[in-house]
Amino acid sequence: MSAMTRELFFFLRLRSGIAALALLLLLGLGGVASGLLETQRQHDAIARMQPLQASDVSAISAWVSRSGDPGNAAYYTFHATWNPPSDLAFAALGLGDVAPSILRVRALGLEAQLYEGDIVNPEVAMPGRFDFAFVLIYVAPLFVILLLHDLFSAEREAGRLGVLRSTPQATARLWAPRIAVRLAGLLVALALPFLLGAFIAGTPGWKTVAVLGLIAAYLAFWALLSLAVARLGTTSIGNGMTLAALWLVLALVAPSLAHVAINTAVPLRQGAELSLLQRNAVHRAWDIPKTATMDPFFQSHPEWAGTAPVTAPFHWKWYFAFHQVGDESVATLAQQYRDGILERSRLAERLGLILPTVGVQLALHRLAETDPRAQLAYQDRIRAFHKRLRTFYYPYIFNELPFGMEDFDKAPRYAPETKQP
Amino acid sequence: MVLLLTVAAAVASSAYYRDQGALRERMEAQANADFTQQPDRHPHRVVHFGHFAMRPPSGLAAMDPGVEPFTGVMVYLEGHRQNSANFGDARQSSLLVRFGQLSPAFVLQAVAPLLLIFLGAGMVARERERGTLRQMMLAGASGGDLMIGKMLALGAAAAVMATPAVLLVGNLGLNGQVAAITGGMMLMGYGAYLVFWVVLTVLVSALTPGARPALVLLTALWALSVVVVPRVAAEAGAGLTQLATRLENDVAIQRDLRDMGDSHDPDDPYFDAFKRTTLKQYGVARVEDLPVNYRGLLGIEGERMTASLFNRYAAQNFAAMADQSRTMDLVSAISPTVALRRLSMTTAGTDLATYRRFIDEAERYRYELVQRLNRMQAESVTFKDDAAKSNDAAAEARSRVSADNWRATPAFRFPQEPAAETAARATPSLVVILVWLALAAGFAGLAASRLQRVAR
Repeated sequence: MSAMTRELFFFLRLRSGIAALALLLLLGLGGVASGLLETQRQHDAIARMQPLQASDVSAISAWVSRSGDPGNAAYYTFHATWNPPSDLAFAALGLGDVAPSILRVRALGLEAQLYEGDIVNPEVAMPGRFDFAFVLIYVAPLFVILLLHDLFSAEREAGRLGVLRSTPQATARLWAPRIAVRLAGLLVALALPFLLGAFIAGTPGWKTVAVLGLIAAYLAFWALLSLAVARLGTTSIGNGMTLAALWLVLALVAPSLAHVAINTAVPLRQGAELSLLQRNAVHRAWDIPKTATMDPFFQSHPEWAGTAPVTAPFHWKWYFAFHQVGDESVATLAQQYRDGILERSRLAERLGLILPTVGVQLALHRLAETDPRAQLAYQDRIRAFHKRLRTFYYPYIFNELPFGMEDFDKAPRYAPETKQP
Repeated sequence: MVLLLTVAAAVASSAYYRDQGALRERMEAQANADFTQQPDRHPHRVVHFGHFAMRPPSGLAAMDPGVEPFTGVMVYLEGHRQNSANFGDARQSSLLVRFGQLSPAFVLQAVAPLLLIFLGAGMVARERERGTLRQMMLAGASGGDLMIGKMLALGAAAAVMATPAVLLVGNLGLNGQVAAITGGMMLMGYGAYLVFWVVLTVLVSALTPGARPALVLLTALWALSVVVVPRVAAEAGAGLTQLATRLENDVAIQRDLRDMGDSHDPDDPYFDAFKRTTLKQYGVARVEDLPVNYRGLLGIEGERMTASLFNRYAAQNFAAMADQSRTMDLVSAISPTVALRRLSMTTAGTDLATYRRFIDEAERYRYELVQRLNRMQAESVTFKDDAAKSNDAAAEARSRVSADNWRATPAFRFPQEPAAETAARATPSLVVILVWLALAAGFAGLAASRLQRVAR
């Protein structure tokens, strides 16, 4: 323990080291603060939306209920879905910027609504956000390098290395405590801001522990790399350059090269394609016999096959049927599109097994539920909700029941899934 | 190494954007074919069938993708609605997109300066550590000559790094994809930026006592300028000006529309007045007696009302974004990298302004398309058939207009911005970079004389 106290004492007198840790702590606090502000903005937008949505529906119900036409109710009423940021989203904002956290849908074809985006300033999204994930993944390694690259070479340059090496049990009594003190300092400088943020955001214990584990593991990786270079290299400046170059490759060059490679290997044209096809399939209904729409619809929805046949050029049941048939006609493409996004994620995850920078980035965003998988899960919840909407309106439309003021209150309400481990 | 990386970036990025361009061209051709191959239809059906606008990747996207991955590429254009541009890369890629996209711009903006620092941090400082600096000064060499010599050596390395980008831009220029003036400004900006780092590196190397402090200081400056400041600036922009959500806009537009006049209310004063004016204009007493289809006229008026609101809210949104970008520019005045990035995106046609131009052009096209169809409904479909078409099959058949009309509809085109206008927009950022360079050169002059003084 005395060796530990001595090294701690040494380190506390090393002004540059303390300054570095203070700076890292400050950056960490900044990242956590801006992450918390951003998630608060997302929560606020969701809270602001609720009364607006209610007023919009009541304005529609005011005139629709006069005639009681269920088709008008289903056609004009938008229903809100939302995806509140998770209790860890502050640490890794991820897709929170370009993927919408609010989407309104109608009982019409979903494939024409599901991929809509919110209002985003791409110039803000481009440089990336200043969140805790950024401080950990990009900035922290530079501080590890700063504190460890000259561990041995500084002593050599001061002419003390030979003496220190000949001390019995040098590793246990000198180097290990010195490394431990510096790493502990880095760990504290990163963990403190995170714990503060986790406390404010109400992050559950297991997630907090998992993130602390990621921080420790990531620091350990950079520490080992730095020590290996420090051991092999001779001059402080040479070690510093080698490590900075490694950082450049691991944190910037390799991931961005892999990004272009993955997107080239898994081209995704299905999104645009399915939009074109779905639109054609939906509108073709006006030019073909009614049975050509109703028969496939009854096949997937046999419960309505017994209702009165459509004879007039227009009937709402036919109208909503062709929207559904349009969705069904592109179901394969929609699945392929979803699979393509997953495949890109999977390839990135495989890269994460080799590159710790990528691995930690992905793990952190997975825990924070701000990655593409989380976005797809939200889309799945919207799909399920859309199905509930259709099931709600169909009885009114197919049985030609009047849709009154009180029926608007019976419409299904979206409930964001309570987040589960 | 950087040379290799720039070549790899240029090749990979060019291939990617060639694919993207081909894909979008195919989608555009498909959308145009879908539109022109429609059968005889009621014009209002075609208003809802709508059209698609595809945003072609800019000619220089391979050099600098800019905001390209974070913007949608395809907008569905239909009546009464304004949809978002969808299927941007950021939403359908893995999280790796957040590490940046490997392009020649990325290599030259981020990687090349760090390499210059590695090569140059010790240039003067090591001479001082070894004592050779003093010898040279005593031998009569001037500090200025020494520093210029070091800068030339480091500048040669920078020139090698920039070569592939120059070739890429030059090649695109020869293919006619880039105007000489914008391509020239872009290369000039990158040149000045790299020279700035060359001068700064030698300057710091001359002022610091040793090679190691020079390296630490320069690396910290690099990290600040390239990695930290752009993100802090984005955070400040997003924090100070908040964007409305699409839902808020949509609800507000519906509310404003109801305040103007409720088309679902048969006794609405606004539409009642519209009816009376129209009847008076044509000198008839009933809508049935109008020489044109009143429903078509209502469609024209309704679209005019919604579009005016769409434009008003879109202008508000883009104004808020411009506010954010201004804040970002102010905060990032301390980083020459941000000025270069703006110059590069502007000249590459991958900035926010170009994206906005696309959204505006798509909306203009949408409006003209819908009004053309509404006029068709007013002129070619009788009021009687229009009213009876939902229940009477014969009237429904008569209310369809000829498919020739679809073939005669002009397709959406996204014209390039005139090069002179792009150049005008890019000039301020180029000036900022040159000011940075001038400042660094000025300090280098001071450092040179100090070098001489200290050595003697």
